[in-house]
Amino acid sequence: MNFPSLRHLLAALLAPSLAPFIAPLLLALPMPGAGAAELVVIVSAKNPLAALRADQVADIFLGQVGRFPDGGDAVALDQGIGSAQRDEFYAKVTAKTPAQVKAYWSKMIFTGRGQPPREAPSSVAIRKLVADNPALIGYIDRSALDASVKPVLMLH
Amino acid sequence: MTTTVTTVTTVTTVTRPPLRLGALLIGLACAASAHADDGMSKPGWSLQGFGSAGAAYSNNAESDYVTSLLKPDGVGASGRWSANLDTRLGVQLNITVNAHWSVVLQVVSEQRLDHSYRPNVEWANVKYQATPDLALRVGRIALPMFLAADYRKVGYAFPWARTPVEVYSRIPLTSSDGIDATYRFNRGALKNVTQGFYGHTRLALVDGGFIEARRTTGFANTTEYGAASVRVSMLTTDLTIATDYIHAFYDGLRQFGPQGAVLVERYTLDQKRVNAVSIGASYDPGRWFVMGELGRMRTRSLLGDTTGLYASAGYRLGDFTPYLTYAHVRANSRTTEPGLNLAGLPPAAAGAGAALNGYLNALLTIVPAQRTISIGTRWDYMTDVALKLQLDHATTLAGSRGTFSNVQPGFRSERTVNIASAVLDFVF
Repeated sequence: MNFPSLRHLLAALLAPSLAPFIAPLLLALPMPGAGAAELVVIVSAKNPLAALRADQVADIFLGQVGRFPDGGDAVALDQGIGSAQRDEFYAKVTAKTPAQVKAYWSKMIFTGRGQPPREAPSSVAIRKLVADNPALIGYIDRSALDASVKPVLMLH
Repeated sequence: MTTTVTTVTTVTTVTRPPLRLGALLIGLACAASAHADDGMSKPGWSLQGFGSAGAAYSNNAESDYVTSLLKPDGVGASGRWSANLDTRLGVQLNITVNAHWSVVLQVVSEQRLDHSYRPNVEWANVKYQATPDLALRVGRIALPMFLAADYRKVGYAFPWARTPVEVYSRIPLTSSDGIDATYRFNRGALKNVTQGFYGHTRLALVDGGFIEARRTTGFANTTEYGAASVRVSMLTTDLTIATDYIHAFYDGLRQFGPQGAVLVERYTLDQKRVNAVSIGASYDPGRWFVMGELGRMRTRSLLGDTTGLYASAGYRLGDFTPYLTYAHVRANSRTTEPGLNLAGLPPAAAGAGAALNGYLNALLTIVPAQRTISIGTRWDYMTDVALKLQLDHATTLAGSRGTFSNVQPGFRSERTVNIASAVLDFVF
């Protein structure tokens, strides 16, 4: 069970009123990537892959495809939920907001078709995991790049 | 959901070396794809859930607006307000044994025909992932009809308060006990998933009766190309609905000799071959979506032959997704029946025959003909929680009671009923 979610739920149920209903309608237009650092999609330096297209990356992260184009196993690794990197990544690669990604995975999970990628807490943690395992693919801040991993797609 | 995994991450990072943690989580996360060669597939389990808390209001007290034929009542005649239409809770246990074998158990609590919320095992199946692209399952499996039938109970996964009743309530059975095979193949940007299934379903009714669908066979094929998706599904089954009530009715008809037997044969629900076919398409580039479905069902029985369709469009404005839906179902089979010819019968027999004719025509009003215009909005209020507010403007047509039940003496077809719904959907 997940305590943060239950707490959210409780908060939602106890929300005082629907008064703020209209204002966000006008104000809350999403601005994906505003102010965020540049992201790079990475695989291990041991992985022979040279580059991926955004739609290929999207397929792996949305659980549609379990292999890299060269046939090797592909396992996605996400940044933590709610992180700026994660929101920007999905906005750019899949054109989905965090809520849309969540709705997508609800569909997949509760039809038995898949589970979302596992998560790691930071760009550095993701780089370390990816460096060690040629099957993993992640996305990190460009500033966290080093020679242990290989960028396969830049997200501007 | 992802947050479940997050929590596990947070908890286990403290106590376990990262690689073990990674192995465990990947075991959990990748039940659908085999990773035998990366050495990271390990046994594990996870518990996930979904639910909806709904309240609905109807401005018509002469009938109940119902969302499924498997609900005892709805909103309207049995009360202006009801929380029973959309409220439910589901919990799913996923067990990953290894890269090839996994088990899923899903239990759903929602109002049943006996008015209780006694939980029901919605799915319980074992999956064998033969290759990364081919999966076989045995056990209780969701029926993949229409675009969304296999997740229609997971409100969080779709934009509306509920899936359009004109199409979806025609197949109230949501799972079958049997086998299925799912094969996916990708060619460039084209992604295709084909699923074939075979099984049976038996559901107890309150009065000792039952619904049974035997030799249910079908397939669903989903093709995606970029933001566009098309799903074609077909199903055929031998359907029986048995209740003491309806058997007494058939016995009554049979007392009228050959003409009664003809009517029994025409309308009985005893192992009748039922066919359903549907095609649905959606286009969802992110900022907005359009989707539509067309479904046809032939039952060769009291349940009639119908064509249902809907079209829906929405636009995403930040956390809000206002949408508009038009849905229509029409009866292709007769919704009135002259019934027994009573000419020349003795008065007592004619009286009994007239009562049977009246009852038959009352039964035929359940063959739906209806159109609904719905307007609403989804509000992604916070992580894992969405609130939907929806207004339905439903008009029953052609003498039918549409998707209404519990009709009172004052009920008339071809009238419009307004239903307002608020549904809070969540996943955990």
